[in-house]
Amino acid sequence: MAHIHLGEGSFPLWALVLWTLVGVGLIGVVTYRVRKGGIKTHQIALAGIGAAASFAIFQLNLPVWGGIHMNLTGLVGILAGPALGALIALVVNIFSAALGHGAVGLLGANTLVNATEAVVAYYIFKTLMRMDWDIFPASASAATIGLSAGAVLMGAIIVISGVNGSALPRADLTIAVAGLVGLNLGVAVIEGILTGFVVQFLASVRPDLVGLGDRQQGEEDLSGVTA
Amino acid sequence: MTTLSNHVPDPRLITAYAEHRDSPLHRVNPWTKFSIVGALVLAVTVADALVILAGLYAATLVAYGIAGLPYRRLGLWYTLPLLFIVSVAGPLAFLEPGTSIGGAIGTPLGELSVTWEGAILFAELSCRSLTVVTFTLTATMTTRYADIAYLLGRMLPNPIDQVALLTYRFTFVMVETLEDLVKAVLARGATLSEFWANRRTYARILGMTLLTAIERSERLVKSMEARGYDGDITLYGDVPRPSLRGLAGVALCYVAVVGYALVAVYGVVSL
Repeated sequence: MAHIHLGEGSFPLWALVLWTLVGVGLIGVVTYRVRKGGIKTHQIALAGIGAAASFAIFQLNLPVWGGIHMNLTGLVGILAGPALGALIALVVNIFSAALGHGAVGLLGANTLVNATEAVVAYYIFKTLMRMDWDIFPASASAATIGLSAGAVLMGAIIVISGVNGSALPRADLTIAVAGLVGLNLGVAVIEGILTGFVVQFLASVRPDLVGLGDRQQGEEDLSGVTA
Repeated sequence: MTTLSNHVPDPRLITAYAEHRDSPLHRVNPWTKFSIVGALVLAVTVADALVILAGLYAATLVAYGIAGLPYRRLGLWYTLPLLFIVSVAGPLAFLEPGTSIGGAIGTPLGELSVTWEGAILFAELSCRSLTVVTFTLTATMTTRYADIAYLLGRMLPNPIDQVALLTYRFTFVMVETLEDLVKAVLARGATLSEFWANRRTYARILGMTLLTAIERSERLVKSMEARGYDGDITLYGDVPRPSLRGLAGVALCYVAVVGYALVAVYGVVSL
């Protein structure tokens, strides 16, 4: 799960307002679609507990490069669908910000980044499965591509916004941010592979969860909500 | 050995501090604390002087201490915010144009040196970030579970409020599930110290956590529907409006921040 790797107050006020409005717009559209499609009790329960699981998984320290943390946003997108995935991204970001991880003022930008990861991972996964890919390469590729899209978007948001108090030209800022995006792309590959193994495990015990079993009502409905 | 991280705040510990401790900040109205977080976000965004930012940070550290919260834990919890700062502000400290501090280091890409402007920017970004992190943690560690649930229920639109309330309720359960799974594999002789060699074990732990979550959600659906769930989780708690003194304090914070921004930062109003 990529984050805007800047703390509170790092963006100028106009950027804070802009990304908050974009985030609110995105969540507004998702909420409208979810309400219009008629969200069911099992979808609310899945989103709530899925977000709790994603938040809990962040507590686990993985021994890569001295220790990394993951929220498995791509996996959440694959399992919950694009609409619920976006709502889960928002809720996880709210709780993370409440615990000092991820800025309160950057909730809009961070939600945009993480919702992108979930949505892209979901659609890539569905596309690859329709092309008869095996479960592991499909889910690993989908999560890696989704997380990479999030990492690139994160870099773009920082470059567009600029850093509060910095006189650095945008071209130089792009160089500084490129290293960060590169690091995130590395983590995306690791998280993608881990997602592949997790989906493979889930498919072996509950194939219905990834659309391989009898429970085919998991297909996306009009509201973009699955599971 | 991999365990649950001690540099990510444990929601169970945060809640324990809120439920079982008492301090002047525990008695402040939750709406007031939430409003002050907003004022601080605005303040660290518009403030452009290191002295002011350092002052704000010092004030939040004092508030944290008044609430009787542990500084040592706070130091550990700073790891991730500081990592965020270093990952971008670190390179900026070198790239920022200005007067170099000491000598330059020769690299294949040219000479590299930290500039005074870069160092100040690094300090400013650190103060901005840590100010809000410290106060947000102070607010969550001094606000009871039921009050936070009430605020979530009141502030978020449906169905996001429902998702958030379930997330809040089940976060504690899922953290314990994950912890139990890690303990179980360690008890069975697994060593989780190397990721790649143990990738399937990690996948099992994470997969089981998600599977537990999904199966729990399926049981929850039956229980919710049996109790006549109609899209609204009833909250029985209540958080009263802030007192007049609390409202005045919040208003004063916002007036001070907006006034400072208009006069000192944007120069819209001249005194």
